[in-house]
Amino acid sequence: MAAPVIETHALGKTFGLTPVLQDTEFRLSPGRGAIVIGGNGCGKSTLLSIFAGLVAPSQGYALIFGEDTRRFGPRYRRRIGMMSHQSFLYPNLTARENLELYARLYEVSAPREVAESWLARLGLADSADDRVRTFSRGMEQRLAAARAMIHGPSLLLLDEPFTGLDFDGAARVRTLIKSALDEGCSIVATAHTPFAVEGIEFELYEIVRGQVVPYQEEDAPRRGRLRSLLRPRPS
Amino acid sequence: MNAFLAILRKDLILELRGGRSTTALVSLALLVLVVLTFALERTAGGGPATGAGALWIALVFAGMLGATRVMVAEQENGCLRALLLSPVDRAILYAAKLTASATFMIAAAVAATIMAMLFFNLEFSDSLATLGIALILGALGFSALATLLAAISIRARGGELLLPLLIVPIFVPALIAGVKVSAAALSGAPLAAAREWVGILVAFDVLFIAAGYLLFEHVVGEE
Repeated sequence: MAAPVIETHALGKTFGLTPVLQDTEFRLSPGRGAIVIGGNGCGKSTLLSIFAGLVAPSQGYALIFGEDTRRFGPRYRRRIGMMSHQSFLYPNLTARENLELYARLYEVSAPREVAESWLARLGLADSADDRVRTFSRGMEQRLAAARAMIHGPSLLLLDEPFTGLDFDGAARVRTLIKSALDEGCSIVATAHTPFAVEGIEFELYEIVRGQVVPYQEEDAPRRGRLRSLLRPRPS
Repeated sequence: MNAFLAILRKDLILELRGGRSTTALVSLALLVLVVLTFALERTAGGGPATGAGALWIALVFAGMLGATRVMVAEQENGCLRALLLSPVDRAILYAAKLTASATFMIAAAVAATIMAMLFFNLEFSDSLATLGIALILGALGFSALATLLAAISIRARGGELLLPLLIVPIFVPALIAGVKVSAAALSGAPLAAAREWVGILVAFDVLFIAAGYLLFEHVVGEE
């Protein structure tokens, strides 16, 4: 059996006195997709930030490709792509310049051509030379998806990837996610409801009392942090 | 090297399009020089020492204003997180940020020097090369220190208020050395006459560039 791409043990994160994640056990096999569902403030973004090595856990540890996220070096960071609530795009650069910049940072060969092809894939070719500052929320979100995937990562971390997208934009991003899965990329996404990823083969999880547990459909969407904490801990 | 150039190029493009750092630096330098010209005119009567002092006061004030800009630009849309997520070595990131910051400051120094020469009625002579060395070394040291401290302060609440309190006391040795070298240069003395002070500027630069190179990773690391 292949080693898991993500493996956590007793993972916890506390901000001040507020525990957000507690004793979280989570595994993701190579080439699989998982979606973590939960309301606002339940810890979804924190979980992804820990996986990306951007936030240090308060307790336990997370291994990504077998490496502790606290010791992430360039070799591991190169294999991760992340889409966050923030677009990670420079407003005063054009769409093409943004993608080209990130392609160069990830040492993608022929960065200009690769940037062009991603712009075309996401239907942004006509806006390639427009500054991101002039983009709508949906256009920026599409460009953010391209930015996260431009270097062909082995693990994609997508924090509410469909936020702000219109029907066409959501369909394009959904296609990109499916393609990435088909190419063997492992994906962890977050959403408020499981409907966001309909049509994509994802394992469903939710965050309950700070723990990532398999999603139970009857409980349906969406507890925020308070309801998440009040709910009995799963046995 | 590729990543260094990509980040530096990006910072320069952003500056050319926004122009906030250099414009602010030059404007503040001009303001300080005008005020000092009128304030010092009657008591000191101008002269190389006064001109050098005014020039460095203008540069330090302007530098503090510009110090945070290079790092603050990365906060918009969470771009700093994206840089940290990328495989770019943190030391390369620091080097690119330092180079961008020093470039803006040197541009402001050139403008401030021309204004100081005019306001204080100083002569353009061969010793301008010595003045240039002092200003470049000063701008480099200031940028090295400011980039490192700005990376700390942007994470702190009220960090922009904290930054000048941290920078000025640490920069004092380089400031004194810079004024001494500049005064010597403006009075027509050769570089050799201010060798010890140039040595202090070089030592300051080496110390804080090395400190930034080694510590930047820990400063911008995990939250």
